[in-house]
Amino acid sequence: MSDQSTVDPEAAERPTTTRGADAGRGELYRRPRGPRTSRIGGVVAGVVLAVVCVVMLSPVLWTAFSVIKPTSVAFLNPPTFTFTPTFDAFVNLWQTTNFYQYLINTAFVAVISTAIALVIGLPAAYALSRSPSWVSVALLVAALVFRALPRTAVVLPMYEIARTLGIYDTRIALALALVAINQPFSIWLLRNFFAAIPKEIDEAAMIDGCTRLSLLRRVIIPLMGPGIITAALFMFLFAFQEYLTAVVLTDVNSATVPVFIATQLGQTLPLLQQAGAASLLLTLPVFVFAFIAQRYLIAGLNAGSVKG
Amino acid sequence: MRRRDYALLVSPSVLVMFALLVVPLYRTIEWSFQRVRYGQPGTFVGLDNYREAFSDPRFLSAVSFTVVITLTTVTVLVLGGYVLAVLVNRLGRRTRPFVLGLLLVPYVVPGLVGGTMFSWLFNDNFGGIVNQLIRALGLPQVLWFTETWANRGLVGASVVWFLLPFAMLVMLAGLQGVPTELLESARMDGAGTLRTHWSVIAPSIRGVIGFVALICIMDVLRLFDQLIPLSPQAVQIGNESLVLYIYNQAFLDGGQRLGLGSAMNVLLIVLIVIMLLPFIRDTAREGRNA
Repeated sequence: MSDQSTVDPEAAERPTTTRGADAGRGELYRRPRGPRTSRIGGVVAGVVLAVVCVVMLSPVLWTAFSVIKPTSVAFLNPPTFTFTPTFDAFVNLWQTTNFYQYLINTAFVAVISTAIALVIGLPAAYALSRSPSWVSVALLVAALVFRALPRTAVVLPMYEIARTLGIYDTRIALALALVAINQPFSIWLLRNFFAAIPKEIDEAAMIDGCTRLSLLRRVIIPLMGPGIITAALFMFLFAFQEYLTAVVLTDVNSATVPVFIATQLGQTLPLLQQAGAASLLLTLPVFVFAFIAQRYLIAGLNAGSVKG
Repeated sequence: MRRRDYALLVSPSVLVMFALLVVPLYRTIEWSFQRVRYGQPGTFVGLDNYREAFSDPRFLSAVSFTVVITLTTVTVLVLGGYVLAVLVNRLGRRTRPFVLGLLLVPYVVPGLVGGTMFSWLFNDNFGGIVNQLIRALGLPQVLWFTETWANRGLVGASVVWFLLPFAMLVMLAGLQGVPTELLESARMDGAGTLRTHWSVIAPSIRGVIGFVALICIMDVLRLFDQLIPLSPQAVQIGNESLVLYIYNQAFLDGGQRLGLGSAMNVLLIVLIVIMLLPFIRDTAREGRNA
């Protein structure tokens, strides 16, 4: 990888500062640098890209199209393209199922697990970025291996443990499981962001009489702003996406939306349309998220993955 | 850093990972040597579970399905991700965030939900628009959900759909690290576009390409979520992935064969760790230089 601090022609125009974790963010918005090609080539490229975008969005569009049909015509084959759009499927979903409860569960689990993951992950990642000892190396390698494990290898024993402790099918058990499962990725990601903050800052603050903890709390964490947002977004996203862990550790009380949708799949057709409505309700916020949080997601994919 | 500070900072995270990752993992390894069911103490049976795994046709079929789907989708992902990154890299500052936002959607939707929506393009209950197109072209109908290879194609397509944004984004960052001088000298030497990509750009970002391949391989080896909506008859048509098979054996119906499932877990872990070895070496080297 090239050094990110090389001269960037657009750096001056960007409103954000390029401190610490911010450094990688502007990179993807830089001027195109591919080999120069003809204008016809440009048109072809644009058309191909437009087609790819439509194909990538087609499952969402087709689902939306099927869900706003009245139930009486929703399952016709061949499909009808003339109908009066209706939101009945959404109303049914809301009134006849516990969708609301599953949505709350999903949000609760995602928020709580993100918060805990950050509170325990930030100090650990900071220590790993500042100490080159063999303990750090061992921890990083362990984190790498655990990040790649098949979920079943830890989740099935967790099921037994949760049963024994009497916390099976509780939201807090699921949140804790997700904290642990996502911890390896979050300390890797945060460590890479911390590593971008110069050690001289630590030294200066220590000379001024800061202890390690107050240094972390008062100096380093405020510098990490965007890096923390990025890590939090990924933790939230992973918790929100998780299916296997949720289906193993929950039953009726704390099931999440993906678990609910999976149970609807084997049901009769009207319920299938409700599953479609539920999928859409989950996709819409994600859609907004992909636009608003884009810079952070890209920074995370690059800092958390390319270098780690 | 003083040792006491270090221990203080690291311990909460290490304790959580020990209690909730290491302890369960140890349990899985223990189970793999036992005949055991949930809630009952197991009896030690040595390597029986491993022996059974290797003589179980369903396990071997799950292995071959997983390997086939991994190799094909990762090839498509690396090539497709590269081409898409090159296309996106040409975009100006205005359109780029918009296009990236659209392309990111499949990656941020939960795998199971994305798989569900993907399946409806092919499901006649939902008017399956793809089947309509096939019919309009006068081609024979495809049994997407009940024919083994058609279903593999469907599952593979959905995996590509889900991971392509990731492959594209990481490669895009790689493309931007290619020095301009390199491209200019290639142009002065009279290399065409294809030649420049093949002999100059792709080799100079091979680290990034290798990384994308590695992450994609690990993700597809753990394939599970997408199969629930896309392959409801996975067991009957031989399209169970390894993780789905482990789940079916060790969890569904009260986990009748928890020991066998655990042995398969261990085998899968060994496979993944072997693939990670070069990466582990790099980490060890980099960690020491931190």
